[in-house]
Amino acid sequence: MNVWELIIQQPLINVLIVIAHYMGGSFGVSIIILTIIVNLCMLPLTLSQIRSTKAMQALQPKLAELQKKYGKDRQKLAQEQMNLYKTAGVKPAGCLITMVIQMPVWIALYQSIMLAMAVAPEGLLNLSRFLYPWNAVYGALPLSRSFLWLNLAQPDIFLAILTGASQWVQQKMSITPSTDPKQNQQAQMMLWMMPLMFGFLALSFPSGLALYWVVNNTFRIILQYRVSGWGGLRRQVKQPAAPEKKALQFGPSAETKPAEQPSAGTVVADTETKIVDKSSLKPGKTRFQPGRDRQKNRPKK
Amino acid sequence: MKHKSGWLLKIPFVVAALIAVILVVTGCVSGLTAVGWSGGTVSDGILYVGSREGRLVAVNLSDDSRTFSEALVPISQPGLFGCAPAGGGCSAGAVSVPVYGIPAVSDNLSYMAGYNGKVYAYSIDNLAVRWVYPREGYLQPIVGGIVIAEGKLFFGCTDGKVYALDAVTGDKLWESAATGDKIWGTPTIAGETLYIGSFDKKLYALNIADGTKKWEYASKGSIISTPLIYQDMVIFGSFDRNLYALNASDGTLKWQFTGKNFFWAEPVVYNDTLYVGCLDKSVYVLNPTTGAKIAASELDSPLASQPVVVNDTVVFASTKGVVYSLSTVTNEIKKLADLKKAVNGPLTASGEIVFIHTQDNVLQRLNAVTGTLLSSISLSSS
Repeated sequence: MNVWELIIQQPLINVLIVIAHYMGGSFGVSIIILTIIVNLCMLPLTLSQIRSTKAMQALQPKLAELQKKYGKDRQKLAQEQMNLYKTAGVKPAGCLITMVIQMPVWIALYQSIMLAMAVAPEGLLNLSRFLYPWNAVYGALPLSRSFLWLNLAQPDIFLAILTGASQWVQQKMSITPSTDPKQNQQAQMMLWMMPLMFGFLALSFPSGLALYWVVNNTFRIILQYRVSGWGGLRRQVKQPAAPEKKALQFGPSAETKPAEQPSAGTVVADTETKIVDKSSLKPGKTRFQPGRDRQKNRPKK
Repeated sequence: MKHKSGWLLKIPFVVAALIAVILVVTGCVSGLTAVGWSGGTVSDGILYVGSREGRLVAVNLSDDSRTFSEALVPISQPGLFGCAPAGGGCSAGAVSVPVYGIPAVSDNLSYMAGYNGKVYAYSIDNLAVRWVYPREGYLQPIVGGIVIAEGKLFFGCTDGKVYALDAVTGDKLWESAATGDKIWGTPTIAGETLYIGSFDKKLYALNIADGTKKWEYASKGSIISTPLIYQDMVIFGSFDRNLYALNASDGTLKWQFTGKNFFWAEPVVYNDTLYVGCLDKSVYVLNPTTGAKIAASELDSPLASQPVVVNDTVVFASTKGVVYSLSTVTNEIKKLADLKKAVNGPLTASGEIVFIHTQDNVLQRLNAVTGTLLSSISLSSS
């Protein structure tokens, strides 16, 4: 057994089996509970990630200003951006670091579910080498694959759709609008591509795995909502004016200057003014009429 | 700028593809694929074994010539990567039907059951299919072997039932009531009684005439091992780490012995001594009457293969492919050979030669007396 199996996979598999044992042999319930437990253990990292994303969203207007100001000087722009992040206490790389830490845990849980399901005889034989010498473990095997309407060893289309939908909601809520239209375009593409991909994969793997993905996404949606609300899911509606704000009024005020009287040479025309006779105009000051005057001024052949 | 923007727009595709690859690679963990590990049976100088291609192979032991049957037909597999076919496993691209049980031979027919849920009878002359059960459709996967007695063929199925067929025609004679879970073991017959374990943790004794239940015994773990009949006892291993001995007539407990992991393989008895391998890597030597431990030896890896007796030795193979010989006189164990290939299926013996079907679809041959590894025989038809 290698280090990964010994330290990560083996404990997770045994915990999964023990939970199933105490939940009446239900592997489905065990998957849900263990996914929640693992998410709770990773809560500090996940919260940090969500808060960081929220802070990034709040900085967008200032980042836009910097983009306008230093758009052509990339070095200066990068420097100012870093200063802004530092002042705001935001670590852009923090998101990446938390993801890197979380990824092995998710992969381990994902693999443990596949191993514990032990669908084929080879899987069951392989599972035996991961087991702790606990009565609760040996008594629970093999785990029951029935959960609600599901056979956890077979794909399920409804769960695959749910996987994709929950992935979409979770991503939509956490999306960070950017001042860069290209980044926005990328974000939009990822918003649709990832849920479709996960939904497609959920159709190819046992539904036990899709169940894990759905529970995981649901947990993150709830967490995201608690920290930063609906985020990108919030609908843009017209907000009524707050009652304490006075409405703007248009009208003359004591400080308004009277309108200036037109000078003598200015031609003023309105519905009540007679059309000024052209002959009264001073010579040299004729009104230019584009179509007419072009024809008049065209040299004769 | 256009070139740069084109590159930027490809990033989501690259990220999505990378995540998909990671998920597929990490998800298809070791041991999920159904491959098969058929043992062999020897009859009239011919060894019959199921290959990894899903064929019955007849090996003439005198000249090593081989005859192959037609490949078993798989049922369609759901899932893009074949990660959840009937029975499961990540088997992208795999199209052969796994065969787990030992083929049976009776009169001029040989029989084999496939993971596709069908039982086949072949003419021993040319391995042409004589009959198939069921004639249309499929049962659930069949993992255990077939037993022939009194002109009838018996096997257990993943649907939790035991079936009895007419061995000549393939007509169904009876099917038992479903047990609480799947049956992956091979039945054992003694007199008029059939003994078989189920994943519902019970050992069943059924009437071979009509499949009605005589008695059942509930252990604390699933049962996959083939029961052994010794004197008036039925001895079997369970996933609760116990080896049980029951009165064959009424199923009452005589003794139980506890190991440290599943008892997967069938034990053997020789000279009134019981020898059993366990997935805790140990070989146990027990008194079959009382279950008292006489000796124990720890080997390199778990033991899932049914051992064989050759002369005064019991030959075991570990899952990592190391073959051992245990002296029934001194209870000392010595290493015979290291095949360096996984061995999960039962061993077969003919005279001094032990045949071991390794997971690379090769039949290894070992002289159990001298420890000499003989030339191997490929079970591939190509």
